[in-house]
Amino acid sequence: MRPVGVAAVGAAAPSLRLAAAEVGRAWGSSGGRAVVAVCDADEDTFTLAWRAATDALCAAGLHGSAVSGLWWGTTRPPFAEGPSHAFLASALGLPGTVEGALVSGSPHAGMEALAAAWDAVAAGHATVALVVASDALVPGLGTAGEATTGAGAAALVLVADGAAAANGSTGAVAGSPNGASPPARLVTRATRARPAVDRYRGDGDRATGDVYDGRLFREEVFVPLMAAAGGALSATDVSSWVLADPDGKLAGAVARRLGAPLASAAVQAALGDTGAASALLGLVHALAQDVAESAAAPRHIGVVGFGGGRATAVTVEALRAVPGAVPVEELGPGRPVGYTEALRARGQLEPMDDPIPMGLPPGGAAFVRGNAEMLGLHGARCRTCATISTPPSIHPTCIACGGVDLEIVSLARAGRVQTFVVNQTMPPPFQAPLPLVVVDLDDGARLMVQGSPDDAAALAVGDAVVLSLRRYALERGIPVYGYKAFRRPESDAAPGATPGPVAAAHKEGR
Amino acid sequence: MSWNKVAVVGAGLIKFGELFEQSYEQMAAGAFTAALAAVDKGIEPSAVDAVIVATQRGSLWGQEGIGGNTVPSAIGLSGIPCTRVENACPTGSDAFRIGAMVVASGVHDVVLVIGVEKMRDKSTQEGLLARAAAGHPLYNRGETAPVLFAPFATRHMYEFGTTPEMLASVAVKNHHNGCLDPYAHFQSEVTLEQVLTSPEVCSPLRLLDCCPQTDGAAAVILTTPERARDFTDKPVFVAGFGVATDHPYLHEKSTFVGLPATTLAAGRAFDMAGMAPADVDMAEVHDCFTITEILDIEDLGFVEKGKGGPASLEGETALDGRIPVNPSGGLLAKGHPIGATGIAQLTECWWQLREEAGERQVAIRNGIALQHNVGGRGSGVSVVNLLTRNA
Repeated sequence: MRPVGVAAVGAAAPSLRLAAAEVGRAWGSSGGRAVVAVCDADEDTFTLAWRAATDALCAAGLHGSAVSGLWWGTTRPPFAEGPSHAFLASALGLPGTVEGALVSGSPHAGMEALAAAWDAVAAGHATVALVVASDALVPGLGTAGEATTGAGAAALVLVADGAAAANGSTGAVAGSPNGASPPARLVTRATRARPAVDRYRGDGDRATGDVYDGRLFREEVFVPLMAAAGGALSATDVSSWVLADPDGKLAGAVARRLGAPLASAAVQAALGDTGAASALLGLVHALAQDVAESAAAPRHIGVVGFGGGRATAVTVEALRAVPGAVPVEELGPGRPVGYTEALRARGQLEPMDDPIPMGLPPGGAAFVRGNAEMLGLHGARCRTCATISTPPSIHPTCIACGGVDLEIVSLARAGRVQTFVVNQTMPPPFQAPLPLVVVDLDDGARLMVQGSPDDAAALAVGDAVVLSLRRYALERGIPVYGYKAFRRPESDAAPGATPGPVAAAHKEGR
Repeated sequence: MSWNKVAVVGAGLIKFGELFEQSYEQMAAGAFTAALAAVDKGIEPSAVDAVIVATQRGSLWGQEGIGGNTVPSAIGLSGIPCTRVENACPTGSDAFRIGAMVVASGVHDVVLVIGVEKMRDKSTQEGLLARAAAGHPLYNRGETAPVLFAPFATRHMYEFGTTPEMLASVAVKNHHNGCLDPYAHFQSEVTLEQVLTSPEVCSPLRLLDCCPQTDGAAAVILTTPERARDFTDKPVFVAGFGVATDHPYLHEKSTFVGLPATTLAAGRAFDMAGMAPADVDMAEVHDCFTITEILDIEDLGFVEKGKGGPASLEGETALDGRIPVNPSGGLLAKGHPIGATGIAQLTECWWQLREEAGERQVAIRNGIALQHNVGGRGSGVSVVNLLTRNA
């Protein structure tokens, strides 16, 4: 088996924040002081996963084509059954040969994705493995989970640790992308299980039900399993713990029993329980702490994820600063919303009138032809005059010169506003205000895409914008994803000033 | 270009509005009756040799598959050759152009061109607004009709300093003209203040910057100059026409301060007629939104590019202005039943050239009128027709 390193990481939080006090006001209860992250109407586990993964690849200096496997853990894939994995791989620009798996079934899915990717790299099946853990939980109305469950995503780029291998016994293997040893490595892991029902969602249920008895769950299921898994990690001294925490209080109890400080409390406090993402999101946060110290003496971070009656613990050895590692505070403050707006964004409050159906059925031929170019934001560049016509499937010829010698290119993700409108008058499922923005992209392509309602009041011709993947529609149960334009600060707009377009959007709290 | 001349010997329309009480077929019959009645020396319906029907979308009244045979049956001419034309907002004006070419070709002597459109049989939500979910699932998503023109207003304001007041002045003028047109949907004045404080529909356009949803029908009778003598001593002739296209998606536009299809179509029409913009006495142009009329008068060559806003505000396009535009009230006040719109505009030109327009009659010096439509996804098609009373 080859040693496995972490080349880079990424993280994402959704746009909205809901205070537990708002939930309490709706139900006539105290609510408490917690705050949870909530997806906006055009965000979901997929768009969060895309952002975290895009940032991780960007931090690793890798194009998607270098990835040999994608392991994605989430309790709520965009399709309960369907092409979730293929959609994400396509949106990330991964090759059609990409292997890996979609792991689901419980919030433990994030750790299962990590373990599977680790094994694939260790066994030599994958050279670069992308691990993504994301979730956008939908709590049952009136359950305690409304005040504790959140949303978020984390991603890790795993590579064979060439330097460690050279020092060890497994012989020469491919190292990290730039030849140096990775800044962090996966050391040991352990799993413990008990067949007990905790939070669950039955087949066909839309929302997740809460645990039957909180004390029973704490004393007999969660704390014992977490402590057993964490305690089973082999001899390395864990300097801090990152622990899954379904209600914001349980992780502290586990950390005390394990005897080292809890490094993930800030993530829970900022975003709530992010389900399958919580353990790896905590890891990304912990990797961003005390980087100076780790240069002197490598830190060992114990990461324990939980869900579905299982707990898996992993030790991560941090050697240097890990590219892409961000503290949760830098994922953006989000926009505070009231209870009804949160419900509407989560699809739990809907108008009676039937929404206007999309003219093209998302299962139909136009989408089979167009999905890859929509998810990957492709254009057709004319080899004769360099004009880009978008999208390629409706442009057999160049719009400028009529040439037919076209190559498919991935479009720039940043540009400036040529012109725009804010549409105030649309039937359901559309929500006003809806900016529609004609963007002149940095590569010369021009595109009209939707903008953010948050930008509606301030948008102006010439503004710098960045494109980010969002859900355009949920049509007959099928999500339709595409890119939307978001204003970004002028300071980030100079060419080459940003490490990646998505990072710029994060700074603004999206 | 050598082509046989074509004469317009009859033209008419029904009162435009929300005609809930009339069927598509009843509207068609009403317009045909009006056109027959306008023929000075009278005409038998059986004199018509062929019909061109202009209907843009039957889907707005649940007849997605409407063909060319609905209208002959409704107007008592079943059995006659008939073809339906669809070409976006210029559907009516293109049907007229095609009708003129049929007469010019010598195949048919007397051709009825009739535009009929039901816009209000479905609710606004299920009707016109439903296009927000049509077309490309991403690049057209949310694209209701104002989205096709409002981006041009945003950019025109940015580049030329065009103001909301300048846009509003178009609505004020056309609503005033509509008060003088008994066929107009709206017959009430609006003030600048009312336009500027009406609800925002799609920035920067407000409710009164937009034309209404209107049912209507209009018809013209075309024939050869020789046959025209049997029907009237005051024929109006087709002087020229032009059609042009542009890319259909907004992101494919080369400019957001003009509609190149209009400029191309106008150039072709003027070339065909051997005329220039300065020769035109009055124009009926496509003012689906206030910004559209400002773009039109620039693209058609009546004012310099960028000067359409001040020209409108300063009254250059009023009934007594340098170039009267939309004396009928335009789409903004008269209404925009798509297939009928172009035919109704041509009817107004016919009346104006015959100096039969009553209170809204403009000064006719050269005997030349221009009619224009532009539309479709991305304003990707435009038609310009030129009429003259000079033989």
